[in-house]
Amino acid sequence: MTFANEPLLELRREAVRREALEALEALDAKLPLEVPMLIGEDVVQGRVFASVDPAGPARVVAHAHEATAQHVADAVASAERGHAAWSRRPAAERAAALQRAADILRSRRLELAALAVREAGKPWTEADADVCEAIDFLTYYAQGALALDAGRPLLQLPGERNAMRYVARGVTGVIAPWNFPLAIAAGMVSAALATGNAVVLKPAEQTPACAKAVVDALHAGGVPLDALHLLPGFDEAGKALVADPRVHTIVFTGSCAAGLHILEAAAQVVPGQRHIKKVIAEMGGKNAVIVDSDADLDDVVPALLKSAFAFAGQKCSAASRALVHRAVADELTERLAGALGTLRVGPAHAFGTDVPPVIDVAAQQRIERYIASATPLAQGETRDDGFYVPPTLFAGLPADAPVVREEIFGPVLSVETVESVEHACDIVDASDFALTGGLFSRSPRTIEYVSERTPVGNLYVNREITGAMVGRQPFGGGKLSGTGPKAGGPDYLLQFVEARAVTENTVRHGLVV
Amino acid sequence: MAAPTQERPTEDLETPIRAIGTELAARMPRPRALSTARAERRMQELLMRDPALRAALFRFVDVRPACTTPADVTRHLHELLAQAEESGHARRAAAIAGRKLATRPVAAIAATGVRQMAQRFIVGEDAEDSLKAITALWKDGVDTTVDLLGEATVTEPEADRYMQRCEDALRTLADAAKRFPARDVNLSVKVSALTPLLRPEAPERGIEGARPRLRHLLNVAKEVGAHLHVDMESFDTREAITDLTLELLSEPEFADGPSAGIVLQAYLVESPAHLDHLFDWARNTPRAHPFTIRLVKGAYWDHEVVQATQHGWTPPVFTDRRACDRNFELLSRRLIDATPLVKIAIASHNLRSIAHAAAYADLRSVGSEHFEFQVLRGLGDDTQAALAATGRRVRAYCPVGDLVAGMAYLVRRLLENTANDSFLAAAASGTSTAELLEAP
Repeated sequence: MTFANEPLLELRREAVRREALEALEALDAKLPLEVPMLIGEDVVQGRVFASVDPAGPARVVAHAHEATAQHVADAVASAERGHAAWSRRPAAERAAALQRAADILRSRRLELAALAVREAGKPWTEADADVCEAIDFLTYYAQGALALDAGRPLLQLPGERNAMRYVARGVTGVIAPWNFPLAIAAGMVSAALATGNAVVLKPAEQTPACAKAVVDALHAGGVPLDALHLLPGFDEAGKALVADPRVHTIVFTGSCAAGLHILEAAAQVVPGQRHIKKVIAEMGGKNAVIVDSDADLDDVVPALLKSAFAFAGQKCSAASRALVHRAVADELTERLAGALGTLRVGPAHAFGTDVPPVIDVAAQQRIERYIASATPLAQGETRDDGFYVPPTLFAGLPADAPVVREEIFGPVLSVETVESVEHACDIVDASDFALTGGLFSRSPRTIEYVSERTPVGNLYVNREITGAMVGRQPFGGGKLSGTGPKAGGPDYLLQFVEARAVTENTVRHGLVV
Repeated sequence: MAAPTQERPTEDLETPIRAIGTELAARMPRPRALSTARAERRMQELLMRDPALRAALFRFVDVRPACTTPADVTRHLHELLAQAEESGHARRAAAIAGRKLATRPVAAIAATGVRQMAQRFIVGEDAEDSLKAITALWKDGVDTTVDLLGEATVTEPEADRYMQRCEDALRTLADAAKRFPARDVNLSVKVSALTPLLRPEAPERGIEGARPRLRHLLNVAKEVGAHLHVDMESFDTREAITDLTLELLSEPEFADGPSAGIVLQAYLVESPAHLDHLFDWARNTPRAHPFTIRLVKGAYWDHEVVQATQHGWTPPVFTDRRACDRNFELLSRRLIDATPLVKIAIASHNLRSIAHAAAYADLRSVGSEHFEFQVLRGLGDDTQAALAATGRRVRAYCPVGDLVAGMAYLVRRLLENTANDSFLAAAASGTSTAELLEAP
């Protein structure tokens, strides 16, 4: 079976846009949604918290029920039981359940895109891409797990029979982010499920309803209730999940600080724990786009705008630095500054929006502090009826400025002038992160040089640096950007399994039998 | 995919099509004795046989304006040729370009070659500079439409500059045209250059952004008595370009001028329905100068197919060349039948498409006051000469701009010219006139 990416909505057609707005209207009539904890057979209530529309915080998108440490303990206990059964199901049966879940997401795609528009403040094209990527992950990992189930060929010598196969690791805790509220949750959960692991999912507190939509689809597709648990909540639940000695694998996407805490906590082996926890972490970046003197600036400007400001820069892959050759730096900076004024800041549901609000008030304040820490070269518009931040361009800041060094996760781009591509590569090497990177050059030798030298996990040449597609751009980086999991790539599932080799002696009474 | 209707006009067209096509072919300038022309033809044949070398050379042409020194020119040329190493021709060329002593001459030849190529397609750096070439065409009885090339518009000041260049061109050409009473002033404009706000998902933004500038140009065109033609671009922008153009031309102040028009792309599968829309609008919007529709095949075929494939969409364009050619003929007939409600321009280098439109126009007795042919400067010069020689009205589409701005245009035209399914390539490689004139 060959994999193909789910087709995106053709939103350039008026009829498709109209359908999308109808789906939004239908969703709005149902708000707020209810997101209880799902622990095995039990639908559990708890202290209620709200997720809101970042473009109009008065609109409550969901009422979610907060998991405590006790709920985590209950869910992990249920998952241990569930794991025993789920891991023994034939791989084909598990894959079929994921495929059915993908079909369910596909049948609800407009509604789910509308939900991401409302709950995460994702503009339509991004929200739609989120739904498609969720479908892609389910399909891709279902197919990948089937292939993995066949094991790998080994050397065979006379008198012995060697086999290697892959088995599920154990209960998997998934801590999912809000920025790809459907896709990343679906990807991390489905990779664990496809390979036979029971899952406890703790989604970001900002987007519980999106997570529930994914969990509902998987349950409806045939994943047993005790193989997949949903625990909306905050730090307490996340920490308890990481600390629980019955958890074998922790899959995390989020900030670098949180990821490092998880790695540290997961390394503690408590009495009674008889395994080493594995952490699969994707932790953000400080992504730079190198622009050489032979770049076509007509291509560079739109690509930088999209990479830095789409979804208000709230992607791990987003560009936050442009390292521009001196020969073209002035011209590019001037055009970028002018282009900043063309960006419309507005609610995610408006098709004309270029820069939506950021996720919450904490993010808004954090980004505003960065913007206030230096003098911007240019700034776009902003508004005050949601968590808005003006798209902002800096130029020529010192190398140790926080704007240049730290991950801001907002619509902020810093332009630095470099003497050469080598110089730009030195700067990239000096960063803590190595997630994505970009290069604009029309020299084959320069492209080869940077491809070979740069440490980033995903290098994009002569295009925007966001929008990795499942099966086409396996995603994830090194250094402090994470453990290099390469989601959506052929190796991802290997992190969710243990390999077991069995060697049988086939010699009896001196004869090979 | 909806194939265009197979309807044929009741009268037999094939006989006059063959007659007109054969006469046009006979009137195309004979293969020239000039060595440059022979070299050019050999080059074109070579490029068609060797896709890797073709890719390398086009990438070089693309990057050439960004190279600031001779060493930079040579480095790029050498690297690009080395990349095309599966091609024997490219390897030999790379070896020559890479020799140290050869650096300066190779760079000079490469730089000059690109400049000369560009000059075949581009009539001047600006309107003033292009007057020599334009008036030469006017003297030969050939009409022109001028297209101002430039960098992409990403800021408002860039949009303002493009508008200003358009206004200057209109005034400069109008001034020069006073000496040529039989000729007109005609400018083609690009909405994507008039605003940085075109968004495929939000056509209203591009419309709002471009509206004041296009309105200004319509006013200038009206004032100087020029024709303003709005070019069509990629499918992403078709809705915005169409809606904006029709909306402005519906305003009472433009009912009595200027003469204006839009483009219909025959490679779009839904172009017949789009033409219905244009006809409906024209019927309901009386104008002193009939609305002009330029029929083209469409110049963004690769872009449309790549974009659609990467997004999982059905391409908006015909993927079968013959289906596209049949649609072109169907639309030609519908347009000719719609005169004098609209004026029409058949823009093609395909001898069959041209002969077909001419034969049908003759059959319907539609004359040059309602009907003209258009060709691209540089690519369609022979066709233009033949059409003019047979007394048919022909207009040359003349790009104006500097070397940097001209590169994207040049690469596009060269790629078209040497593509395997290109009509010009077939004509150049010796396909017989009879074959070229076969019904698609």
